[in-house]
Amino acid sequence: MLACLCTVLWHLPAVPALNRTGDPGPGPSIQKTYDLTRYLEHQLRSLAGTYLNYLGPPFNEPDFNPPRLGAETLPRATVNLEVWRSLNDKLRLTQNYEAYSHLLCYLRGLNRQAATAELRRSLAHFCTSLQGLLGSIAGVMAALGSPLPQPLPGTEPTWAPGPAHSDFLQKMDDFWLLKELQTWLWRSAKDFNRLKKKIQPPAAAVTLHLEAHGF
Amino acid sequence: MELGLTDTAVISPQDPTLLIGSSLQATCSVHGDPPGATAEGLYWTLNGRRLPRELSRALNASTLALVLANLNGSRQQSGDNLVCHARDGSILAGSCLYVGLPPEKPFNISCWSKNMKDLTCRWTPGAHGETFLHTNYSLKYKLRWYGQDNTCEEYHTLTSPCSTPAVTTDPPPDVHVSRVGGLEDQLSVRWVSPPALKDFLFQAKYQIRYRVEDSVDWKVVDDVSNQTSCRLAGLKPGTVYFVQGWVAQVVDDVSNQTSCRLAGLKPGTVYFVQVRCNPFGIYGSKKAGIWSEWSHPTAASTPRSERSGPGGGACEPRGGEPSSGPVRRELKQFLGWLKKHAYCSNLSFRLYDQWRAWMQKSHKTRHQVLPDKL
Repeated sequence: MLACLCTVLWHLPAVPALNRTGDPGPGPSIQKTYDLTRYLEHQLRSLAGTYLNYLGPPFNEPDFNPPRLGAETLPRATVNLEVWRSLNDKLRLTQNYEAYSHLLCYLRGLNRQAATAELRRSLAHFCTSLQGLLGSIAGVMAALGSPLPQPLPGTEPTWAPGPAHSDFLQKMDDFWLLKELQTWLWRSAKDFNRLKKKIQPPAAAVTLHLEAHGF
Repeated sequence: MELGLTDTAVISPQDPTLLIGSSLQATCSVHGDPPGATAEGLYWTLNGRRLPRELSRALNASTLALVLANLNGSRQQSGDNLVCHARDGSILAGSCLYVGLPPEKPFNISCWSKNMKDLTCRWTPGAHGETFLHTNYSLKYKLRWYGQDNTCEEYHTLTSPCSTPAVTTDPPPDVHVSRVGGLEDQLSVRWVSPPALKDFLFQAKYQIRYRVEDSVDWKVVDDVSNQTSCRLAGLKPGTVYFVQGWVAQVVDDVSNQTSCRLAGLKPGTVYFVQVRCNPFGIYGSKKAGIWSEWSHPTAASTPRSERSGPGGGACEPRGGEPSSGPVRRELKQFLGWLKKHAYCSNLSFRLYDQWRAWMQKSHKTRHQVLPDKL
């Protein structure tokens, strides 16, 4: 149901070359990525507020928790804590990269249907920022020597006209897209914080805030 | 394991559009997964608010019905959320209700094409009133030869152009105005039809308008279809007129030039002439096309009358008349140049044209100097 034309993302332009002279390492770009996720989190709060008001109650009510159906195909941020802790750097980054690639694609689909100009503007702005985050993650992966994930033939997400999708079901999908986006940004902040700690020597103390978020 | 929504219940009608004030009868049918699920305990909410129990009733063991009367306009543009809940409050099914008023017809529709390939249309949306709902505009067009309806693909905004293949024209590129012999109250206007129209069979609508230099009121010469000339009469001698005209190509015209003779003009007067085209009879229809933009202005002057005017000095610039700065300045420069380079009594329009051509930077204007064959 939530199918998407995503081929463009898999052919992301070449990662900008890093400055080889006096290479400060991946530290600065990890920090930049971390900052970007916080910025996007902030941007999403206002975008989601507007969008959920557009969907109308009960979607904009706190603790609204509808069945998650078509949203099955959304990348899930929530993962077992031990599993998360044990992720190696490459896998951690790959999961982030793949997740945001999918989410960006779905968001662009949302933008196409959005009825008001204001929503389209906010969504377009957010998509641009999210594209920036993807580029930033790609930069970190390149700095760590990890190749960008390439789509396997056959698993490349392409748009397929799904079964007739009712408007209400679509609203629920939209709700879960925004929700998952929120969770992913929250998780990415943790991911990049952890990466930062690993790359930098322990001289710089980094505090990790683990909030209870249904993890 | 989560119960799939589509497996457990379905609401009918699904996403209906309704008139404000009308009634809605809806049903929520439970599909029986697990088998034996009943309509008992089900309830409705609309936009998050539980609906009064008396509005619903069980039609049978697995279906709950709802009647909503005198509907209000939708609370949000994405539609009102009508939801069927299980006894424990979980969502079984939903339907978006679009309650509103039909929009008004758009008006002031105008379409044009400059290159016979793209058509651009513009319209004003009908007064919204309060429709409560989003309004879609769609443009349909039909080519006369092909005769079937096509829908515009590309919309820029609600009130804005839509591009599809399709018809006006550019204005004539070269407009020449010259004197008619020594006639002091006439001018002849000639032009070449825009190159884009050369290959198309159509006839031309033809209209000329002119005004005195320092007036804003245009005088219009009546439509003269199918003719190649027109005369402006009743003009004041010694006055500057601005003349703008409609021009188009005549189907059976051998040359690809068309001309118009302006008569009744003032002697010794500078006129500014502009031309534009309106193809009609395109593809055999009787309708007029769209007027092109005005051509670049061209100027000419009528011969000075011998009996009128103070003094014989045809080169003296007329003084004291309020006029637009650039015209006056240009005339003064011209006459000054004339004094140096020619006998004033031999003043002819050709010289003026030559001067103008010399003044202008573009090479093209050199070719605008016409021999005076009339």
